[in-house]
Amino acid sequence: MTQADLTAQSPARAAPRTGRPAATVITRLTARKAVRSGVVWGYVFGALIASSAVSYTRIYQTQAARDALAAAYGANNATSALFGPAPQLQTVPGFTAFKIGMTLILLGAVWGLLTSTRLLRGEEDDGRWELLLAGQTTRGRAAAEALAGLGAGACALWALTAILTVGVGLDSSVGLAAGPALYFALAMTATAVMFLAVGALTSQLASTRRQAASYAAGFLGGCYALRMIADAGVGLHGLIWASPLGWVEELRPFAGPQPLALLPIAAFTAVLAVTAVRLAGLRDAGAGILADRARSAPRLRLLSGPAGLAIRLARPVVFGWWTAIALSALLFGIIARSAGSTISGSSAQGVLAKLGASGTGTDAVLGVCFLALAVLIAFAAAGQVTAARSEESSQRLDHLLAGPVSRSRWLGGRLLVAAVVLLAGGAAAGLFAWLGAASQHSGAGLATLLTAGLNLVPPAITIGGIGVAAFGAWPRRTAAVVYTALTWSLLADLAGGFGGSGAASRWLLDTSVFHQMTSAPAAAPNWTANGIMVSVGVGCALLGGLAFNRRDLVGN
Amino acid sequence: MLNLAIRAEGLTKRYRAVAALDRLDLEIAPGEVIGYLGPNGAGKTTTIKLLLGLISPSGGRAEIFGADCQRRPAETHRRLAFVAGEANLWPTLTGAETLHLLGRVHGSVDVAYRDELIARFDLDPAKKVRAYSKGNRQKVILIAALMTRAELLLLDEPTSGLDPLMEEAFRLSIREARDRGQTVFLSSHILSEVEALCDRVGILRAGRLAEMGSLAQLRQLSARTVQATFDGPVPDLSRVPGVSSLAVDGRVARCQVRGPVAPLLTVLAGANVTELLSREPSLEELFLAQYGEHGDDQPLTAREVDQAQAARVADNTRADNTRADSTRADNTEIASTQVARHDAG
Repeated sequence: MTQADLTAQSPARAAPRTGRPAATVITRLTARKAVRSGVVWGYVFGALIASSAVSYTRIYQTQAARDALAAAYGANNATSALFGPAPQLQTVPGFTAFKIGMTLILLGAVWGLLTSTRLLRGEEDDGRWELLLAGQTTRGRAAAEALAGLGAGACALWALTAILTVGVGLDSSVGLAAGPALYFALAMTATAVMFLAVGALTSQLASTRRQAASYAAGFLGGCYALRMIADAGVGLHGLIWASPLGWVEELRPFAGPQPLALLPIAAFTAVLAVTAVRLAGLRDAGAGILADRARSAPRLRLLSGPAGLAIRLARPVVFGWWTAIALSALLFGIIARSAGSTISGSSAQGVLAKLGASGTGTDAVLGVCFLALAVLIAFAAAGQVTAARSEESSQRLDHLLAGPVSRSRWLGGRLLVAAVVLLAGGAAAGLFAWLGAASQHSGAGLATLLTAGLNLVPPAITIGGIGVAAFGAWPRRTAAVVYTALTWSLLADLAGGFGGSGAASRWLLDTSVFHQMTSAPAAAPNWTANGIMVSVGVGCALLGGLAFNRRDLVGN
Repeated sequence: MLNLAIRAEGLTKRYRAVAALDRLDLEIAPGEVIGYLGPNGAGKTTTIKLLLGLISPSGGRAEIFGADCQRRPAETHRRLAFVAGEANLWPTLTGAETLHLLGRVHGSVDVAYRDELIARFDLDPAKKVRAYSKGNRQKVILIAALMTRAELLLLDEPTSGLDPLMEEAFRLSIREARDRGQTVFLSSHILSEVEALCDRVGILRAGRLAEMGSLAQLRQLSARTVQATFDGPVPDLSRVPGVSSLAVDGRVARCQVRGPVAPLLTVLAGANVTELLSREPSLEELFLAQYGEHGDDQPLTAREVDQAQAARVADNTRADNTRADSTRADNTEIASTQVARHDAG
């Protein structure tokens, strides 16, 4: 018999074989989800870059206007600490990198860490990973294959960003060559790649998706704080090389490109990815490297009812938010004075005024900084709403509502807890900004800053209220609605905030809750607008509560 | 007059065109233990969620102890306890914390009984829910419901994931509940469990209540199985009134008998019978008769049921002791009995 005959007769060979070898299955499965998300966000990245570049050419048409802008921001320690240095504001690309760069760097990092923790640890949490591991693979190899899939997602993100950036560069008024455009897109997506790797590593360390994401987010916060100090003009610029976000800044996409900074980025990503794969091979499936305490003594104090349970469940997340808010506010307070001193008089104030801040020096800078805190607090509000929905979708709520607990009592308790979380977050923002400012002997008073902190809460209440309305009417769409409302407000404010004119731009700004908020302490809080925002939020929440009372509970 | 524990009138739940539950009428007296049978998707969970008011009916109404399930949920919930089919609990809480929480939410807990149940079900309450297996999470919600000593227990497939030892502990607990006068509504697809515990059985079929009655009543409606071994030629039994599905294998004759057995006994008395076995239909066979589906919605014809039963009898007699064997067979779930029927066919 020939070899071919033997092969044909062997039953194992004769059995029908479908699909490709297991090696590419996990890659393709992960890539499919990662690429889908990468395409969507690549589009957002590209659209932000394009809109920013185009709006610059429309608003700052004369060289004089561009010089004034450069004078205002070019040597401003406050904006430098927040958004990164701005060496070439007279050029379209330089301005675009400054205006949108830090937003994209942070957005990319968040996308990276959420995507990789979701597709690695999240799949493991849901039990799907074990199904894949049962195939012809090992734990380490499966992790490497999934990482390859994540890489495909990063490529999609870069490709879409690059296409749109090159496209807007063709516009004659923008005038950006393809080479620099591609390099810019690379710089803007570099953090996404690094934080995909960070998320991959924390997915091996932690034993739940939430833990993995919060470790990675904590690392991101540390990186941001480091580069903030480095850029704050307090003589510590060397620290920039200690932060992965700093490396991206050192790529200097439009101002004397420095591709050598790609080296630490690539090395960091590679080391983390290899470590993640090694750890994945070492640990048990379903477990984390860091021991998870499986047993603990009962802590019963809060567990006396639905509201107490809400506090108990929210506690770790809420402490995370409060810490982030307090630390950011502290840093803002510290840098506010030195930053403020550089903008006294001149055209600088005019530019800050366009961001909504008036007043002088320290207050004006804090006013702009507090916008970022308003966004953090609104994210906390959205998180509270989606947490309530996940109680229902996981059917854990059934156990409570099968007892003598009315739906209104359950939802009301949760919303009360959420309101306290937001108010305390606002108060913490004011208090810690004051502590930071006081350490620099700047004159901002505690009462003023506390008021400014509480002034951050109404937009969050509106966002939360919209979320509750969605929870009542379209429960399965809760997260989509609340995060769309939030992202829309954020993008509208960013897009319109750097000086827009014309009806369209004003209309866009008006739809943003963050624009409705005055930037205290630079301006006095607008209590009428705040009252309206709170009323809209509470009204939406009431309607949502009524709808929730009347509808069926629905799972996933 | 005492209020009924559960009363449903024309209770209906539609999801778009599909009727998950179709005009259900139920009357369950306090102290009854009711088995509620049906395969996946028959409407068992829908019924319980309607009784709890977690979803609202498309038509009809339901009451628990005389209070409307939709309008006065807090009142009805004070008197009942619920065990979900899927024990989704808060992963960061420990077993003890979960029990404490659910006890406080319900309002009344028999602490001594709770501790007894924890020991009986061999639960380690210091562990976090995240670290529990499926069976252990199921134990937590079972204990949470039983420890309240609520007047009505609504149990939705409560023993999924429990091992046989824990199944025994569960049966003991339900008997205790019955002895205390608690009403038990046990939705299940484990037939042996229902047969062992329940006074009355309801069989759901594609959203409709196909049968409701005591096991004895249901059995009377169905045929009993008779097997005779002869020390000589097998007489012709095919013309005996009430006999069907006759199968002769050497000196052994098997058949189904509907109605009185006297005519068959008369014939058998004239022959040389060395061994005679007679057996009531198991719940499994009753269920199959109700529920033999070919993937479409048609019930089995009488002939097919008889064939299925004959095959089952053949199976049982091979293992000699019919009673012990039927217990074994009943322990399998519906899915496997469906397979058995297909094998037979």
